[in-house]
Amino acid sequence: MTTQLVKCPTCKTTITVSGEPGEKIFLTCPQCNQKGAFTIPGEKSAKTMVTNSATIEVNGLTKSYNHFTAVNNVSFTVKKGEIFGFLGPNGAGKTTTIKSMLDLIHANTGTIKINGIDVRTHGKEAKKNVGYMPEKVAFYDNLTALQNLRFYAEIKHAPKEECIHLIEEFGLGDTGKKRVGKFSKGMVQRLGMARAILGNPSILILDEPSGGLDPRGVVLIRDKILEMKKKGTTIFVSSHILSEIQEICNRVGIINKGVLVAQDTVEGLSKKLNLKPQITVTIDSMSAKIENAVKKLLGVDSVKTQGNTLEIVCDGAMKAKVILAISTAGGNIQNLQTKEPSLEEVFMRYTEA
Amino acid sequence: MQTNIILSIAKKEIMDNIRNKWIILVSVMFALLTLVVSYFGSLASRGWQDLGFTISGMANLVTFLVPIIALMLAYATIIGEIERGSMNSLLSLSATRFEIIIGKFLGLAGVLCFTIFIGFGAAGLMIAANVSNVNYADYGIFIGATMLLGLVFLSVALFFSTIFNKRSTAMGGAIFLWFLFNIILPIVFIGLLATTIDITKFAQGNTIVVPDWYQALNLFNPTSVYSSLLTTSIGPVSSMSASSMIPAPSWYSSGLLIGVLLAWIIVFFALAVWRFQRKDI
Ligand SMILES: Nc1ncnc2c1ncn2[C@@H]1O[C@H](COP(=O)(O)OP(=O)(O)OP(=O)(O)O)[C@@H](O)[C@H]1O
Ligand SMILES: [Mg+2]
Repeated sequence: MTTQLVKCPTCKTTITVSGEPGEKIFLTCPQCNQKGAFTIPGEKSAKTMVTNSATIEVNGLTKSYNHFTAVNNVSFTVKKGEIFGFLGPNGAGKTTTIKSMLDLIHANTGTIKINGIDVRTHGKEAKKNVGYMPEKVAFYDNLTALQNLRFYAEIKHAPKEECIHLIEEFGLGDTGKKRVGKFSKGMVQRLGMARAILGNPSILILDEPSGGLDPRGVVLIRDKILEMKKKGTTIFVSSHILSEIQEICNRVGIINKGVLVAQDTVEGLSKKLNLKPQITVTIDSMSAKIENAVKKLLGVDSVKTQGNTLEIVCDGAMKAKVILAISTAGGNIQNLQTKEPSLEEVFMRYTEA
Repeated sequence: MQTNIILSIAKKEIMDNIRNKWIILVSVMFALLTLVVSYFGSLASRGWQDLGFTISGMANLVTFLVPIIALMLAYATIIGEIERGSMNSLLSLSATRFEIIIGKFLGLAGVLCFTIFIGFGAAGLMIAANVSNVNYADYGIFIGATMLLGLVFLSVALFFSTIFNKRSTAMGGAIFLWFLFNIILPIVFIGLLATTIDITKFAQGNTIVVPDWYQALNLFNPTSVYSSLLTTSIGPVSSMSASSMIPAPSWYSSGLLIGVLLAWIIVFFALAVWRFQRKDI
C-alpha cells in the first residue's frame, strides 16, 4: 500500500490517495467536486499480487459427494486485510467450499493456498494462523466454557490467560461451572466465535457466525468482526444476513448450485447488473411540468408518479441533478428518500433459477 | 508432528474417561472378580488360592471382559467426535489427523492399561497377603499379557471408529467384533478341525495330534493367542475355552505370540490412520 499526495487541478486542494503501485484511483475533489483519476506510481509487481494481496487463493476447486457435484470449479481470492462475504442459497456449496479450504474434506481437484502455503500438502503450516468457526459449532459438552477454551488454547499454543478474557468479552462470564452441554444455542455460538479468535489469528474463516443469535448477539459478532479487521485480520465470512454483509464486507462472492457466479464489490456487482438507485420525492403539488423536467434528464431511467410522489430510477451520479430539476420546475420538496441498489437485489438476480 | 499436541489430546481422553467414572467402576469390578475367583473359584477347597491358580481362573474371564472394555473405550472415539461436530475445530487448529489419532490412541491405551493394572494389581496384592507362595513374576506376566490383549482390541476398535459414518453403526461393529473373536472364530476353527480329525477320540479323553494349520489359524484370533501366551509363559492356564482344549504346539513361543499381538496392534492402528487421513469430516 502506498500513500500519495495529489493537488486538485482546478482548486489546488491537496488530496491524499492510497493504493497499490500501478493502481488507478478515481477521485472527487472534496472542495470543488472536480472528478479525476490518478495512477499510483510504481510497477505493478506480480510478487506483491500474490504474497501481499492474496491471503486465501482457491483455484479450480471441485468437490463431489458420490456422483453429486456440490462445488464445481470454484476459484476466488481473498485479499489481505479485507472482509470477504460468501453468499449463496441453502445447499449452494458454501460449507463444502469452506471445509475444503481447511482440508476437513478432501477436494477432488483444485488448489487452496492460505498465505501462499498449500493447505492440502502442508496443512499444518497453512492452518497455523487460521481461526475457524464451523457452521455447526460444537464443544465438549461435559466441560465448562473455560475448560473447553483452555484445551483449544493448549493445541493452538495460545496464552491460557486469553481464555478467561474471551469468555468475559463474549458475555459468558457468569456461566462458571455450567457445562457447555447445558448452554443455549446462542451461548454456544458466542463461545464458537471466542474459540475462532483465540490466539489472535491472521485469517478468520466464519461459516454463518450469527446463526441462532439474538439481535444483541448479532451485533456482538459483527463488532468483533470489525474489531478483528481493524487489527489487520483477513476475514472470510459466509452468511445469509445480506444487510449485514453489505455493511461490513469489502467484496462478496456468490455461489449458486456449486458454481461461483460473481465475485466483486457490492457496487461493482450492482453496476454489472445495471442496478440503479431509486429516489422517492414528495412535493407539495404535482404538475406535468415537473414530471417532464425529470424525464428529460439524461441518465434517468424511469419516472413514476402517484399523487404528489415521484419514484425515479436514475444513475447514481444523477441524483443531485434530479432534485435540482424538480426544484427549478417549481416543485417544493417535502420529503426525500433514496434507496441504493441492495445486495439483496444483486443476490436475487445472480441466484435466480 | 508435535508432541505437545499429541499429549494434549491424550490428556483430554484420559480426563474425559476419569470424569465419566465408569473406568473406576471397571477397575473395582476387575478387582472384585479376581478376588471372587481366587476365593470361591476352587471347588475342592474354600479359601484363598495362590496367584497361579487365580490366573488360570481369570484367563477366560479376561478374554470376555477386556475386549468389551477396550471396544467400549474406543469404538466411537473418532466417529463420535466427527458426529458431534468437534472434530472440525480440532482439525482447523493445525492439529494433523495423525497427531489426533495417535493422541487418542495413547490416551485410551493409558486409561485401559491403568484400569487393568489397578484392578488386577490391587486384587493380586490382597491375594498375596493371604497366601504363602507368591509368584509375582507370573502375575506380572498375566497383567502384561492382559494389557496387550486390551490394546489389540483398542486398536481394532479405533479402526472401526474411522470406517463407519455413524456412531451407532460403529457400536454395531464393535459388538460384532466381540462375537467374532470370542464365539464365531473359535467355533468356525473347531468346526474346521472337526471335519479333518476324528473328534470322538478326543471326546474319549485321548490326546490327539492337532495339525499345524489349525494352530496357525488360531494365531488370527487374538483371544486364542492370549490364552496360548499365558500357557507358554506361565504354564497351562486355561481348561475351559474351546480353542485351548488343545495343547499349544511346541513351535508356539512367547516371543512369537507377543509378536502376533503386537502385529495386530500395529496393523490396525496403521489401518485406522490410513482411513482417517482419507475421511471427510
Ligand atoms: N456429506 C455429504 N454427503 C452428500 N452430500 C452432501 C454432503 N454434504 C453436503 N452435501 C450436499 O452438497 C450440497 C452443498 O451443501 P453445503 O452444505 O455446502 O451447502 P451450503 O451452501 O453451506 O448451504 P446452507 O446455506 O444451507 O448452509 C448440498 O446439496 C448438500 O446436500
Ligand atoms: Mg452451510
